Amino acid sequence: MISKHFARALFCALAAAPIPALAQTWPARPVTLIVPAPPGGGTDVFARQLAEMVEPVIRQKIVVENKAGAGGTLGTTQLVAAKPDGYTLGFIWNSPLTSSPHTLKVSYTPDSYRALMSIGYSSYVLCASPEFPASNAAEFIAQLKANSGKFTYGNDGVGGTMQLGAERVFRKLGTRVRAIPFGGAGETAKNFLGGHVNFYGGSLPPIIPHVKAGKAKCLLLTSAGDNEALPAAKGLDAIGLGAEETVLWWGLFAPAGLPEDLAATIEKTFSEAAATPKFRDAMEKLGGVQRVYDAKKTGELVRSELAALGEVAEAIGLKKN
Amino acid sequence: MEAFSHLLGGLAVALTPQNLLYCFIGCFWGSIVGVLPGLGPLAGMTLLLPLTFKLDPAGAIIMLSGIFYGAMYGGSTTSILMRIPGEAASVITCIDGYEMARKGRAGAALTIAAVGSFVGGVISVIGLMLVAPRLAQAMLAIGPAAEFVMLTSALLVAGIASSSALSKTLVMIVLGLLLAMIGNDPLTAAPRFTLGFLQLADGLNFAALAIGLFGISEILLSLKLKQDERPRAPSLRELLPTREEVKQASMPTLRGSFIGFIFGVVPGVGHIVSTYASYALEKALSKRPEEFGKGAVAGVAGPETANNATTGSAMIPLLVLGIPAIPVTAVLLSALTVHGVQPGPLLVSEHPQIFWGLIASMLIGNVILVILNLPLVSLFVSILRTPVGYLAPLVLIICIVGVYSVKGSAFDLGVMALAGAGGYFLRLYGYDMSPLLLAFVLGDRIEVSFRRALMISEGDPVIFLQGPAAQTFLFLLVAALAIIAGGAFWRSRKKSAG
Repeated sequence: MISKHFARALFCALAAAPIPALAQTWPARPVTLIVPAPPGGGTDVFARQLAEMVEPVIRQKIVVENKAGAGGTLGTTQLVAAKPDGYTLGFIWNSPLTSSPHTLKVSYTPDSYRALMSIGYSSYVLCASPEFPASNAAEFIAQLKANSGKFTYGNDGVGGTMQLGAERVFRKLGTRVRAIPFGGAGETAKNFLGGHVNFYGGSLPPIIPHVKAGKAKCLLLTSAGDNEALPAAKGLDAIGLGAEETVLWWGLFAPAGLPEDLAATIEKTFSEAAATPKFRDAMEKLGGVQRVYDAKKTGELVRSELAALGEVAEAIGLKKN
Repeated sequence: MEAFSHLLGGLAVALTPQNLLYCFIGCFWGSIVGVLPGLGPLAGMTLLLPLTFKLDPAGAIIMLSGIFYGAMYGGSTTSILMRIPGEAASVITCIDGYEMARKGRAGAALTIAAVGSFVGGVISVIGLMLVAPRLAQAMLAIGPAAEFVMLTSALLVAGIASSSALSKTLVMIVLGLLLAMIGNDPLTAAPRFTLGFLQLADGLNFAALAIGLFGISEILLSLKLKQDERPRAPSLRELLPTREEVKQASMPTLRGSFIGFIFGVVPGVGHIVSTYASYALEKALSKRPEEFGKGAVAGVAGPETANNATTGSAMIPLLVLGIPAIPVTAVLLSALTVHGVQPGPLLVSEHPQIFWGLIASMLIGNVILVILNLPLVSLFVSILRTPVGYLAPLVLIICIVGVYSVKGSAFDLGVMALAGAGGYFLRLYGYDMSPLLLAFVLGDRIEVSFRRALMISEGDPVIFLQGPAAQTFLFLLVAALAIIAGGAFWRSRKKSAG
């Protein structure tokens, strides 16, 4: 009996012993990077390229695990439930964090995870057919205001970041454009080019080749600034609505409770890789803009965006299911 | 003959030693994932996608598309031998392919499927070469309203062509549509019939449902019906199709090529719909429609050709418009964009080596595949020599591994088991599983296109009759119904006269 008690006591003592500074030993084994999107999309590609650049620095394998489903909330739920030991991280785009919580029942809040850094963004854009009677952002807005409720725009899905971002602008302009939800920017582009909806609403890469071919003219971006790839389109700063910026952005997250020093190590490692010219090129190829934010700034961005999109979702009558 | 000189340029790209190697790797890997039930071209491509980041864009797309059309070759193998659909486009082959195997014609069925795949694949690539831009424009004309008309018509026509009684077919179609409702509402993400399971948020897993309904129910039925009905392994002499079988397969193969090529531009579900459409057409044109469901050669040759013939035209939206119409081409898109190549209207002029290199590699790949697959026929057929006591557990293991490999989800195994039990009882009472699966596959898109169309028209149903695309599909529906009704009428008259 005594020996059994002794063993138990010994075990407890060992378990409670102060853990040697984690940050110095991390990573002692491969790190899992949860990507809540299917393989092959922008999020997945950025995650894999970032992982590939970090691997030689930390001298460990980073295993990318795609956990797609339910608009990214499935994989995010899995991330926040993981042990905060630095061996499970998540590479997430903003939608599951700042858009989905308004339309889906999710089990996490900004307190359930810890932002580590973010890599940059990609704007959304509104484009019209070449015949549309507007040749710049101001004329486009005038048309929208004069024809409230008449035009349709395709978007990435009900309650998605693209729709909420666009509605945020329409609401400030005091006009209504009818939202037609599609399965993604590719499908939106197809229906826009076929003339089934008036405007394309979505990310830049799918529409840029058609702009070059003269089949579309892009007029308004949802980012504050302009974009080199689309010289004719204006950012929201140009129409005085820069504060209403909503873009697609990507960041690195960990479950809440990650030790402070370990978080700092991971933030530094990944930020350095993301800030390289090589990673900038990789992002530009997929229509992204490099803009590395630290942990603090990324965390603030999540909270402010979550609040702003929540207001929009409520105003346009999206209900939580 | 401009296309011809471009093609020669493409051959110069595709025939470099490394691109030839990538093409072979893609075809080989594609054949493997095609044979394994559950694992389809999509899974096979995503597994190799990170590898292609290091290749040049032409090599990357040559290898990945090799997996895509390679998987269409292998898909029929388990359908014919074990009645397990290797992937969604081989569901219909389970019917007559497996019946042929029961008659000891497994070798012939596999050979016909392989040769049909080759013919379909080649004709499809030639079509891609010649009419890609025009077909892309036609594709753009299909908006939500036309898509709804088209898919509903397809469901109706394929349903009528099913071998079971019309009332039973309709029951299965409705059941399939209901099962498709499970999961989050595709437009508003409201959960429907998920019973609180997060695993059901994206709907039932197709592989789990299909393998359960076909594979598992077959094992259960064979236990009940005893062993004398199981497929018979042919002797070596019986491996090749007879002269009569070749004759029966030739026209369906040609027709299947054209059906497959046309249906390849249907967004999302073209490869599946094409097999049903080909089956329905062959049955309507056949002099002996009663043979369908009992091992008709045309019921294997047509659909197996059609699903391969979709591979060329499925590339058109991607290559001409930069728009992936199916998940598989979405993977190809990302493989290209990673290298900074954004496909679109200018791809052919800006990156001719990619466009024509791909086309040339698809021609070469189809040759590689038919050479690769024909010798495998005798190997696969020898599986049937396994005593039934070992074969049934083996089939069960293949089903389980196949379903589990899709998402690594034990929940899906439960779905498969339930589908197997349900399929067993339904088949006991003479219900055909294939209309259910078609309805399940189309259900989501039918619903979404219906709702989108009405959102665009603000609730006005006239939108379904407007536009050249919707009107064309309505005309085709009437024509198809007329052919089916006419065929039935003609046969009944002949019967009463004779």
